[in-house]
Amino acid sequence: MHEMGIAIEIYRTCREVVREHGQGRLQTVRIAVGELAAVEPDLLKFGWEAVIADGPDEGAELEIDFCRADQRCPSCGEAKKRSEGSWFRICPDCGAPLEVRGGDELDVLEVSFETDDEPAEASKTQE
Amino acid sequence: MKKLVTIRRKALAASEEQADKLRERFADSGTLVFNLISSPGSGKTTLLETTIGRMAEVYKMAVIEGDVATERDADRIRAMGVPAHQVLTSGACHLDARQIETALEATDLLPADILFIENVGNLICPTTYDLGEDFKIALLSVTEGDDKPIKYPAIFSRADITVITKSDLLPYVPFDLDTVMAHISSLNPTGVILVVSSTTGEGIDLWCDLIASRFEAKRRS
Repeated sequence: MHEMGIAIEIYRTCREVVREHGQGRLQTVRIAVGELAAVEPDLLKFGWEAVIADGPDEGAELEIDFCRADQRCPSCGEAKKRSEGSWFRICPDCGAPLEVRGGDELDVLEVSFETDDEPAEASKTQE
Repeated sequence: MKKLVTIRRKALAASEEQADKLRERFADSGTLVFNLISSPGSGKTTLLETTIGRMAEVYKMAVIEGDVATERDADRIRAMGVPAHQVLTSGACHLDARQIETALEATDLLPADILFIENVGNLICPTTYDLGEDFKIALLSVTEGDDKPIKYPAIFSRADITVITKSDLLPYVPFDLDTVMAHISSLNPTGVILVVSSTTGEGIDLWCDLIASRFEAKRRS
């Protein structure tokens, strides 16, 4: 199980983002996990809970966008649906190697946190 | 006050940054680096012993061994006259870039022509971690069964080279070599597949030629 280690890394990344934008307590973190990232979302959430337990960010929520891979056959020129649980990169119709795009994401997308900083209204930052 | 920061940052950013630093370091020392990944007992250390026996006179080699416990593998490599460092993970199921950095700091493994990193025996977790290597190599021994590539597809779809080991045992085990090779090619149409036996020497020439050609290619680049 490597999800625990990944949860620790995600937490570090989030803490760094908070530090770069002030200080405060994590509320919600949204991440992208690709279906080819070899990371199990439920185990990752379990790991996240363990990482934040009894700490200043206890209760922070981890939201996971599960991302599908896009597959296209350069020979047939068509998008090919990936059958459930299959990692084959060969066109089921003509046998040509498929072009695979995405599906390997393991990215932090959004970090929301609560801070005592002024001004009092909510702010939004984009990098 | 609530703040929302929208970013897109690699979740493993710190670890990947470390891997990039390692890559620079390996580029500076002109070292070709292989990350060997397989289940326990598939013959990683034995293949390294065989490789050292064939190539260590021509190339300066070094090995980093990853295991949960014991110096056994590093001792086997040192017995062959090649410097080796054992990383003990105390239970962790994979090596990460920081452990490689620490190992390099603690030793004089570099400069070397070729560095083999033998990962912790595990088909799953080491797949995710970049160690700054040039190539990932997956090993699969014929005694493990021929369904492993489709059951553990991530490593076989990412490995640049898959080495099927213990081919001398093929007559004694139910292992459909053609099907396995077809599965691996379907997972990874551009990967190289080799069939070797450290016991009989089958395929070892091809394996050594492949390493040598990858080394020459890196030196030229």
